[in-house]
Amino acid sequence: MIVFDMVCFSYGSRQVIKDLNFSINSDERVAILGGSGEGKTTILKLIMGLIKPDSGKIIIDGEDITGKTENELREVRMKFSLVFQEGALFDSLNVKENVAFCLREYTKMTEDEIDRKVRELLRTVGVEHAMEFMPEELSGGMHRRVSIARSLAAYEPMMFLYDEPTSGLDPVNAENICKLILELSKDGKGFIIVTHKVVDALRVASRFMFLKDGELVFDGDSEKLLHSDIPDIQVFLSELHYAGVKNV
Amino acid sequence: MNRLKELISDLQDFYILSFRGVLNIFKRPFYLKDTIEQMDYAGAGSFFIILIVSLFVGMALSLQLSAELSRLGMKVYTGKVVGISVIRELGPVVAALVFTGRVGAGMASELGLMVLGHQVDTLRVFGVDPVKKLVTPRIVSSIIMLPALTIIGDAVSLFGGYYIAVFVSNQSGTLYWSSIREELIFENVFSGAIKPFVFGYLIACICCYTGLSTKGGATGLRQSTTKAVVMSIIMIIVSDFVLTRILLYVLGFSV
Repeated sequence: MIVFDMVCFSYGSRQVIKDLNFSINSDERVAILGGSGEGKTTILKLIMGLIKPDSGKIIIDGEDITGKTENELREVRMKFSLVFQEGALFDSLNVKENVAFCLREYTKMTEDEIDRKVRELLRTVGVEHAMEFMPEELSGGMHRRVSIARSLAAYEPMMFLYDEPTSGLDPVNAENICKLILELSKDGKGFIIVTHKVVDALRVASRFMFLKDGELVFDGDSEKLLHSDIPDIQVFLSELHYAGVKNV
Repeated sequence: MNRLKELISDLQDFYILSFRGVLNIFKRPFYLKDTIEQMDYAGAGSFFIILIVSLFVGMALSLQLSAELSRLGMKVYTGKVVGISVIRELGPVVAALVFTGRVGAGMASELGLMVLGHQVDTLRVFGVDPVKKLVTPRIVSSIIMLPALTIIGDAVSLFGGYYIAVFVSNQSGTLYWSSIREELIFENVFSGAIKPFVFGYLIACICCYTGLSTKGGATGLRQSTTKAVVMSIIMIIVSDFVLTRILLYVLGFSV
């Protein structure tokens, strides 16, 4: 379980998160919505301990992680699988080596075993044919898929964290990524998806949070979201009309 | 006040990174493959640039000295002065400046791009220490390759000086080389050989630190790369002076 207790965070003099309170169970499918610069990605970084809050507590499975050192955080980070916006693949390594990165780092697998495991993971995300490609040869959708495969390589995460997984993708690729996200959480694993695309959020999530000026202004299910009278949410929902979405 | 706090905090982070970068050399995992890749990029990749720059520096120096010394009737000392200048001072500094321009700028921009593309954060997510994985191999490669390049550069500079002394200034080649040989004493060689180790360490630490502190987009990357090169050049020149002063004192030269 993830608990944010009065968390504040600033980049220099700009406060991006203000007194944030929420709790998320590890089996929940949560979408964090909001405009650019509203602190959505910051929340994921705070959960992973990549940045420390100015004040407040972040509790993961009953443990406050705010005071933990880099070494202590390693255990916490292994509970999650974070897929960064645009994949964040290591551009000096090909697809195979990117996926094999954690296997080489943490296991004593032979080359054959690594090869088999990488193929299996790439098959799961549907890009087995791109094994020898370099990251610059991949499309946006393939980038995300390889990144998801890489995050699955070394350990079994308790929860997935996706940072704008469909941004910059065409509708077909975006839908495929959404399907993959749902596929990976079939066995009850939850996820947090950070996005500003309400169509994609409605496709995958069951709980929605909306951030405005660093504050949580909405937290509820799809029914409540679709009937929300908050002006900013209504602007986001207008995307549904443009997309011609009738049933979500 | 905030600016001062920021500066102190930056310096503190820089010292921690420089210290950890070296300390990690003795800790597992060793990332040998990364270190060899960096050595190849820094050493083999800089080889021809060092050759060209050193050759012309040696030739220009010999030309200037021949002109001035022949005016004073002391042309026979060309080899001696070229030897001392190149071995003790110019060789290490020129090699370090070239190294900064090519390797240092590359380190800063590569690491900066990795920061902006969340690749460094990804390493942390996977429990990999970015200092150990990215900084230590670059420090090791710089400490090894810059001295090697300096030795090669020195030899090429002396050869360039020889070419000018003999074929342009019509001096005796035998005299030139014997003057150089006379200068190849422990004190001169030591003071020239110790500097590249320090310069290599400084360049790697400064460039890795500025690269890893990159913020913002393309502008931030441009700023951090420029800062890395400028700071490295300043530190090379300043540390060269300090080292020269210390070495002259330690080796018993009177000024």
